[in-house]
Amino acid sequence: MPEHPQKILVVDDEPDVEALVLQRMRRNIRAGDYVFVFAQNGVEALERLQLEDDIDMVVSDINMPRMDGLTLLEQIPKVDPNVRAVIVSAYGDMQNIRTAMNRGAFDFVTKPLDFEDLRTTIDRTLRHMAEWREALSSRDKLVALENELDVARKIQQSILPTEFLAGPDYRTFGNMRPARSVGGDFFDMLNLEHGRIGLAIADVSDKGVPAALFMMSSRTLLKGAAIGHDNPGEVLGEVNDLLTENNDSAMFVTTFYGVYDPASGEFIYANGGHNPPLVVHPDGTSSLLPMTGGVALGLMPGLPYEQESVTLAPGDVVVLYTDGVTEALNADDEEFGVERLQEIFADNPPKSCREATRVVFEAVEAFAGETPQSDDITCLTLCKGEFQT
Amino acid sequence: MREGGTLVAKADGRVDGANAREFQEDLVTAIEADDQAVILDLENLSYISSAGLRVILMTARKMREQGSKFAVCSLSASIREVFEISGFDKIISIQNSQAEAVAALND
Repeated sequence: MPEHPQKILVVDDEPDVEALVLQRMRRNIRAGDYVFVFAQNGVEALERLQLEDDIDMVVSDINMPRMDGLTLLEQIPKVDPNVRAVIVSAYGDMQNIRTAMNRGAFDFVTKPLDFEDLRTTIDRTLRHMAEWREALSSRDKLVALENELDVARKIQQSILPTEFLAGPDYRTFGNMRPARSVGGDFFDMLNLEHGRIGLAIADVSDKGVPAALFMMSSRTLLKGAAIGHDNPGEVLGEVNDLLTENNDSAMFVTTFYGVYDPASGEFIYANGGHNPPLVVHPDGTSSLLPMTGGVALGLMPGLPYEQESVTLAPGDVVVLYTDGVTEALNADDEEFGVERLQEIFADNPPKSCREATRVVFEAVEAFAGETPQSDDITCLTLCKGEFQT
Repeated sequence: MREGGTLVAKADGRVDGANAREFQEDLVTAIEADDQAVILDLENLSYISSAGLRVILMTARKMREQGSKFAVCSLSASIREVFEISGFDKIISIQNSQAEAVAALND
C-alpha cells in the first residue's frame, strides 16, 4: 500500500451509510490507510470528483435519485480515467452487475454490506491501481519485456485470495508458484448464499500484461456469474459468453468451477477445458472428477456447459491443480503426470488442506530437480471433515 | 508441401510459451491467401502448451475468415489428450491421418 491515505468516495443515498462506513472502517481510518468522502447521488459524486482530483476510487450504490450508479459509471472516465469504481449491488442481481461490468466497473460487493469483504475489495482495487499505474509508466518508458512480465505478475498476485475459507466441517487452502516468465494461473474462493462456497481454478492461455488483464476480467466475471447463478454450468456459460465478446486476440482460459455445500457434502462442478481435479479418500485411494465436456472459456459464444456432482465423505480431499503440476518436466523430459500426483497420496493420505497442497509442491519440485519451471504451478484443496487448516 | 489448394504443414518438438510466437510466424508465412485448405500434421509434436493451442485456434479462425478449411491430424495420445481436456476437439477438426484429413476437407 502507498504511504499516503487512499481517498475513497462512497456514493449512496441512504443517510446512515456515512456513519456506518466511518464506524466500521475506523481502524483503517485511524491507521491512515483510507480517507472517506461521501456523496448522495451520481451528480454529487461527479461534482466531488471534479473538485477533488486526489480521489483514488469510488464505491457506489446503483439505485439513487438524480443520477444512478450505472450512469455514474459511464461518466467517471470523462472526469478522471484513472479512477476505478466498485459497485454495490443486490445479491444475485446479475443484470445490473453485467451492465456495471460492461461500463467498466472494476469489481462489486453485495448487499447487505459485509465490511470485511468491502475492505478486501478496496485493497484489491487499490493494489490493482498501483500496478496499473506502474504498467502505464513502464509502457511509456518502453522498458524491456521482462519488466512488463513483472507488472503482469504483480497483477496476477493481486487477484489471488489471501484468506482461505473454512467452516466447522470443511477447510480450504491454495497456493500458486509463478514461473519466471510464462503463466496465467489463478484461483478464487467465494462465499455464496446458504453457507455454500464457490471454488475456481483457471489458467489463461497467454502471458504478459494483456493476459493479466484478461485474467482480471475472467476473475471478476466469474465472481459476478457465481453470485448470479446457482448452477456451476450456467456460471461458466455466462462467463464464456461475456469473455467471448470483443475477444479478438483468441485468448482463452481453462476454468474449473465448483460449488460445495457443507450441509449436504455435495460438490457440484462444471469444467471448462481444465485439468480434472482429484478426489483423495482417507485410505489414500483417489479418482479424477469426470470431465463435463466443456470447452475452455472465451473461444466461442453460446457453448453449453454441463455439470456433474460428487458427494464428499468425511476425510475426502478435493485437489484442484493446473497443468503446471502435471506437465512439469524432469531432466529426462518426462512429465510429472496424473499418476505421480495420485501416488503422492497413496501411502500418505493428507491430514490437512495445507499439507495436501504442500506435498504436491514438494513432489513436483523433487521431480523437476534442476529443470527450470516453465509454467505456473497452482494447487487448491478442499477438505471435508475434522481437519486442521 | 502443397497439393492442389491444400497445404500440409508439419509441427514438431515442443510448442510452448517460449516459441509459440515463432510457431505462429512460421504458420503465417507458410499459408497463402489462395490456399483452400490447411492440414497441420502434429505427428512429431511432443508437447503443446495453451499458448500453442491459441496459435492453432488463430490459424483456424483465419482460415474460416478466408473461406478455407482447416484440420489437424496424426496426434499422439498425449497431444490428443491436451486437445480433449481443453475442449479443442469440439471446435477444431481432428483427423487420424493426412489421408483422412484430405478426405474430410474435400467432403
